[in-house]
Order: sequence, then C-alpha cells, then structure tokens
Amino acid sequence: MYKYIARRILQFIPMLFLVSIIVYALAYFAPGDPLTGKMMDPNIPKDVYEERREALGLNDPIYMQYGRWLSSVSTGDLGMSMMYTGKSVADLIKARIMNTVYLSTFALFITIVISLPLGIYSARKPYSLLDYSTTTFAFLGLATPSFFAGLIAIYVFAFQLGWLPSQGTITTIGLTGFDLFIDKIKHLILPGFTLGLSSTAIYMRYMRTEMLDVMGSDFIRTARAKGLSNNSVLYKHTLRNALIPIITLLGFEFGTLLSGAVITEAIYVYPGIGTLFLTSILNRDYPIIMAINLILAVTILVGNLLADIFYAVADPRIRYD
Amino acid sequence: MKNKQFILILALTLIVVLTACTNNNSKTTPTTSPKESNVVESTPGDDKKPNADGPQKGGEITAAMFSPPDNQFNPIFYDSAYDANILDLVFEGLVEQNDKLEFIPLLAKEWKFNDDFTELTYILNQGVKWQDGETLTADDVVFTYKSIADPDYTAAGGVRVEYVDKLVGYDDYVGGKSTEFPGVVKVDDYTVTFKFSEPNVTAISNTAFPIIPKHIFKDVAVKDMPTYSASFKAGEVIGTGPFKLTKYQEGEQYILERFDDYWQGAPYLDRIVYRVLDQAIMSGMLQNNELDLVTRPEGIPASDADDIAALPNVKVLEQQALAYQYLGFKLHTSTDESKWNDPSTWKVNEKVADKRVRQAIAYAINRQGFVDGLLFGKGTVIDAPFPEASWAFDAKATIHYDFNADKAKALLDEAGYKDTNGDGFREDPNGKEWILNLDYPTGNKVREKTAPIIVENLKDVGIKVNLRNPRDASSHFAIIEKNNTDLDMYLAGWSLDSGDPDPAGISLSTAPYNYIRWMNKDSDDLIKKAMKAPEAFDIAYRKQIYSDWAKLYSEEQPAIILYSGNDIHAWNSRLQGISVKPHTIVSSAHLWWVKQ
Repeated sequence: MYKYIARRILQFIPMLFLVSIIVYALAYFAPGDPLTGKMMDPNIPKDVYEERREALGLNDPIYMQYGRWLSSVSTGDLGMSMMYTGKSVADLIKARIMNTVYLSTFALFITIVISLPLGIYSARKPYSLLDYSTTTFAFLGLATPSFFAGLIAIYVFAFQLGWLPSQGTITTIGLTGFDLFIDKIKHLILPGFTLGLSSTAIYMRYMRTEMLDVMGSDFIRTARAKGLSNNSVLYKHTLRNALIPIITLLGFEFGTLLSGAVITEAIYVYPGIGTLFLTSILNRDYPIIMAINLILAVTILVGNLLADIFYAVADPRIRYD
Repeated sequence: MKNKQFILILALTLIVVLTACTNNNSKTTPTTSPKESNVVESTPGDDKKPNADGPQKGGEITAAMFSPPDNQFNPIFYDSAYDANILDLVFEGLVEQNDKLEFIPLLAKEWKFNDDFTELTYILNQGVKWQDGETLTADDVVFTYKSIADPDYTAAGGVRVEYVDKLVGYDDYVGGKSTEFPGVVKVDDYTVTFKFSEPNVTAISNTAFPIIPKHIFKDVAVKDMPTYSASFKAGEVIGTGPFKLTKYQEGEQYILERFDDYWQGAPYLDRIVYRVLDQAIMSGMLQNNELDLVTRPEGIPASDADDIAALPNVKVLEQQALAYQYLGFKLHTSTDESKWNDPSTWKVNEKVADKRVRQAIAYAINRQGFVDGLLFGKGTVIDAPFPEASWAFDAKATIHYDFNADKAKALLDEAGYKDTNGDGFREDPNGKEWILNLDYPTGNKVREKTAPIIVENLKDVGIKVNLRNPRDASSHFAIIEKNNTDLDMYLAGWSLDSGDPDPAGISLSTAPYNYIRWMNKDSDDLIKKAMKAPEAFDIAYRKQIYSDWAKLYSEEQPAIILYSGNDIHAWNSRLQGISVKPHTIVSSAHLWWVKQ
C-alpha cells in the first residue's frame, strides 16, 4: 500500500512537468502579452511598455522565459505578477486561496450531506412522492444557471427577507474570534448553496441510479435469501458497492475544489482563486496562470490518488500491492 | 401516483412563477411614477444650493466599485481606475481642475511662468500636513518628480513618464548619464520651479501629478517602491488628502477615515467605505439606502439609469464622458513590423483608401440608433474625436453624417464601387471582389452589440463585411496595433485625459497609438501648430486650430467616431456637497456631508 502511494507520488513529477510545459506554451502563443491590455492611455508613451517588456524578459524566446520560470519555481519562488505592479504571485494567491477552500469545502459538504441521503432514500422507495420531488429538484438544479440561482437567492434571502448577507466574506473589518467565525459562516451560506446546487442534483441522481443498479444484482438477492435484515442489505452490501463510482467522481471534485468558481465568486464578490485565474488568463499574466495551474494539477492528482485509496476502504476486495 | 406527481410539478412551477413575479413587481413599481425632479441636470455646481440646515458633521457613506482595486496605492505606480478611486481621496497634486477643466490652485496657492514659458514656478500653501503629521514642503514635490524620472522607474512598472519627459535633463538622468535632475528645483521650502527644455503649452497639466511623501520613501530605491509597505498597507499609505486609508479587506472593503488635520479643514464625514459589489445588486442597494455613491469608472449602466432615477431617495447625474467609441480603418499597412513608425515604408490599404468610401460608411451606419437603442439615449453622436466635455469640442466645425443610405449609395457609385456581377454586393472599381474584414473585442457589451449591426447597415448599401470572431481585449489590441495585417476595420474606444485635448498621441502619423496608421500632412501640421509656443498659450488660438482639425477629420473620416456614451453617477439624496466637474464628481470630499 505505502509502496503504491510512493510510486504514485513519484509519477506526479513528470506529469506536473509536462502540464507546465503545455500550459506555458498555450499561454505564450495566445496573442498579446501582459502589457497589451494596459495600453489604453494615449498619454503614456509606448516606449514605457517596451522598457517594461525588456525588464520582464518578455522579449526573450519562449524556452528562456520558461527556463527562468522553472528555475525560480524549483526554488519555491512563484515570481512577481506581471499585470499587478509590485505584487508577488504568492501574496495574490495567499490572499484568496483560503476563501476558495472555505467556499468549495462548504459547497462540497452541502453536496454530500444533501445528495447522498436523498439519493439513497429515493432508491429505497423508488417512484414515491419523495423520489419524484427529488427528481424534479435535481432537474431544476441542473437547469438553473448558477448566476440566475445566485441572483434569485440574493433577491429573496438578502433583499426581501434580510436573513443573510450577499456580498463579500465579512460584514465589517475588525470582528474577531467567535463573532468573526459566525460572520464568515453567514457569508458562506448563499454562495455555498449556489455553488453546491448543481452538483447536489448530479450526485443525487448518480447515487439513486447506482443504488438501484446494485439492488438488482445477484448477490443482493442472495443476501436477502440468507434472511439478512433490510438495513444490513442496504447499508452493508448495496451502499458499499454503489459508492465506488461516487468516490471516483468525488476524487475529481476534490481536484476542482481549488479552481474556484468564477461566476459564483463574481456575483457574491467572494474574492477567490476563480476570479484571479480568469483575470490572469485575460491579461496573459504568465506567472499567475502557471502558479494556479500547478496548484490545480497537484490537487487533481492528489484527489485521484485519494479516490484510489478510498476504493480499498469502501470495498475490501480491492487491494494495492 | 400520477395525480401526486402532477400536483407536485404544479406546485413547483407555481413557486418558480411566483418568485419570478415578486422579482418583477418590485422592479417595476418605482418606475410607475418617474420623477423628473430627481434627475439632476449636468450643470456644474448645481448641488451646492444653500441649505437651510447647513452641513452637519459626522456620519459615514458607502460607495461602490464593481471590480476590486489592484491594491497599488502609490500614485506613481498605480494603473487601475479602481485604485484611483481610493487615491483621489488620499493624495493631492499641486493643482486641480475646476468645472470648466481649467487648472486651479490646490497644494500650490499660485504659479507663474517665466518670459519664454520654459520655467514654471509654484508657491506652495504653508501648513499642509501629511496624514502622519509631517509638513509638506518643496522637497516632497522634487522627490515625487525625481522618482518618476528615475532610471529604474519604468522597469519597476511605472508608466507616468509624460509628467517628466519634457523637463530639462530628463534624458541624461533616465539614461544614467547624470546623477542630477535639473528639471525640477527647490527654490526654498515653499517654492519649486519646473524647467522645461522647450516652451511647454501643457506645463500646468504636466505638473498636476499627485505628490508623494519624501520622508516615507526617501530610503527606498525606486525599483523597490511598488512592493514597499507604504505603497499598499492600510495605515501606512500617507497622502495630504482629506481621508486616510485606515483598513481594508483585500478585494472587498476599503475604509477611509477622516483626516482631522486636513489643511482645508477637517472633513464633515467620519468615514467613506468603498465596497466592491456586483453590479447586478447595485440598484437594490441604492433603493434600500445601503449604498450612497456610485461613480467612476463604470457608474450606472445606461440600461438601469431610468429605473434608478425614478427612486425617490437617489439622485442621478448624467455627463458626457471624456471618451468615445470608434470604427477605425486600417489605412496603411507594411510588411516590416520593425519600422511601424516610419510612414515612408507604409503601403496604402486600397480597400479603404478612397475617402468617399469612408464617408459612405459613415452615412450607412445608424449611429443615432446605437445611442437610442443600445445606450437608451444616454450618449451623443459626435463627428470628430473631441467629446462634448472637452473645450476643443466644436459642433459647428464638423460635417455631420446622418443615417442616410441613399447618400452612402451615391458616394459609393461615384467612387466606382458598383455591383457588377449581380450578387447584391459591390465590387471595387476594377470589378474585383471587395470584402472588408472587421475585427472587434469583447468586454464592452454595447460595443459588442454594435458589430453585427454595422455589418447589417453596410450590407444594406451593398458593402460586404467579413465580421470575424470577437477576441478578448489583450488579443484584439495585440492584433490591431500590427502593421502587417489583413484587417480593414476594427472597433475600439479611447478614454481621454482631462488635462489637455491635444490629439497628437492618437492621431499624429508617427504616434504609436495611431493604430489606423493615418498619414495626412495637413492633419500633422495642424496638430503640431496647435501646440506651438508662444501662440498656443492662448486658448482661443488652439480652439480655432482644433476646429479646423476636427473639420478635416470629419471630412477625411480616417475613423468613424460612433458615439460618446454618458457617465452616469448616482448618490443617495442624504449625501450633500458634491461638486460636479466634467471629469469627476470625486473632488473636495472634505465638503461632503450627510443629513442625519
């Protein structure tokens, strides 16, 4: 098992290296550079940008630029942003990553605690009222774009009912301790539900289908024939088997946890990685693009590794040597 | 079972419909009784009516921005309009502009030129305090300009060299050939002289830059300034302005507190809170009194302006922006990109070379339709690149192109562009296929919508346009600045500096921002003549030349100026004392106050 994990982690290195080359090349060959988007003020002489390009090394061939980036990253330095004057990539990410972690974890939490029990319940009593309601909810959830759901939620819960805040991560600067914690949770609820809504719908459907699928298999019939209790059949035999594909999906979901959610972040002004990532791509801010991509690649790889490990937990028949 | 299912679906549908209805109702209710009186006309100073109660001390206001600042709060290094929102309240220059865009004293109480207009001497106000208690002196002024002239300045990310490059000795100092910078000299603690290498018509505008504190930055190398804590840390950013940046939560809230020792008297307001908000919820917050001020850079979207003007608790102000959108023609191209600024290597783009063709296109495009339909009337059609807010604007000087397909067709016929093969599109005078490539960027929603309409308008007069997929701004500008290109027309916009209307930066044939690569000797001569000392110190002289130039521009149509949209500001009616200027409503914030 440990050998397996070590081998997998070693495989990360060439993969990350490959990813970084591909992403760097894609970013580099897109037209424009970090300064083109800025050249909007006719009073600023263009030589200024030429000098800045020279200083940033943007006139060098791609392999030199990539080489410089690689050697600085290998020493743990993510570099300076090219579009934000005087800001280091590490600081920009640091200021946002925890927000993204809170939001994504909260959304994932909502997804799991709502979708799995509902999925199991619908599978237990298929074609019941609850099954139909959850199915309807699932399709509504899937069909509603998050910006629309978000605006409706803001309108109803923040404006009409006044229950929850709708913008940012805190009400005012200066709260501490428990008050700050409660305030942050309050600010998480609307974006968290908005973000979790569509994946809740998806997981509910998956869970239901998987459960129904497993319930129809021979070994469940055998279990029932042995006279096992309904609960034992359902939770010991059916659920464990039905969870395998769900774990695979959650593995991927974990990988996207840190990628942020551009639209949800934008309408709730929840400063996270998603908005930074989008802006950096639109502005060709190579150091930020690269840094966020690396973080994403690592989490996706780790997420998949975790999924593989959890298979063995859910199903003892699966072994890694 | 079937019944239950039906009822459930019905119930869910009802919920959705009801939510949608409540949403609609509250949005339309206020508009049923639009009150004209809430719409403030853009007469400057209108809001300064004497108030029976007089200004009250205390209170706080919340202002909105729709994107977060970059958090670069050092004026010499910032370049985001969102950072400018904060900087405008914290920092001040020697002079500022009034409601006619004339320069008036601010940190300097007076100034005078020498006889040949090469030296400009300012006398500073005494007793101006920095927000940390130090006194402002001429040393701070010299330090600010010297930092911008520093050899490391542009490499560190600074772009404001327009404020120093006309000063004596700039080239030697920036090139490292000299350690002295004779361009700006301290005469005594409260007197400072700027020395220009030639008589400088825009001298005052060039010396209006916000002043940074020497005592804070003196030991910091210019290359390290952008990352130095006093350039971004709340509490350490020090200016002379009426409000201090005391706290912020990056990307969310920026709290500016009253500076009690402000040299023009303590501000009335205790606090201004800038919040980053989503534009979609702005009108709801204005309505609920949760938001007091919406201004630059985006302001209120034209589509929401009437709804917001109808709110009883909100004042709305419309002003023509110092900006315009245009359809540029790529008039010249060349294969050698390295010689982009050498017009002798340029080749004429025959497809749009005939000015009758460009005039015909101006007639064919329904520009008024853009203003009425896409901007909801919140804008103006102009025929030369001077918006109405500029003093160089002269409506009588230009030829007006109304929306007139017949005139367009007549001009095209006259120029020899006729449909010879009966496909409904005109061929060029040699009978060859004539297709114009049009490129446009994403980002500005109104501009995005104009592109397909332009294609339709031109199709109606028989011009075939190949509209290419829109690109993001970085790609678009990387492509339109190229000489070696197959594009014939593109959409873009310019925001103009309020300091001076000189169009040289965009329209001189050798100017880098002359993306259309327009080369017209008369135009170049006029632009240069308008800046020639000493005559040009007389504004009437320049006005006349700019009128002549605008006439030439409107006749040549090197680019078709599509429209100039309005800036729409809104504030809660409890907020008083706002002075309205063509370029900003954020000035003299120490006089703002709220009714409590």
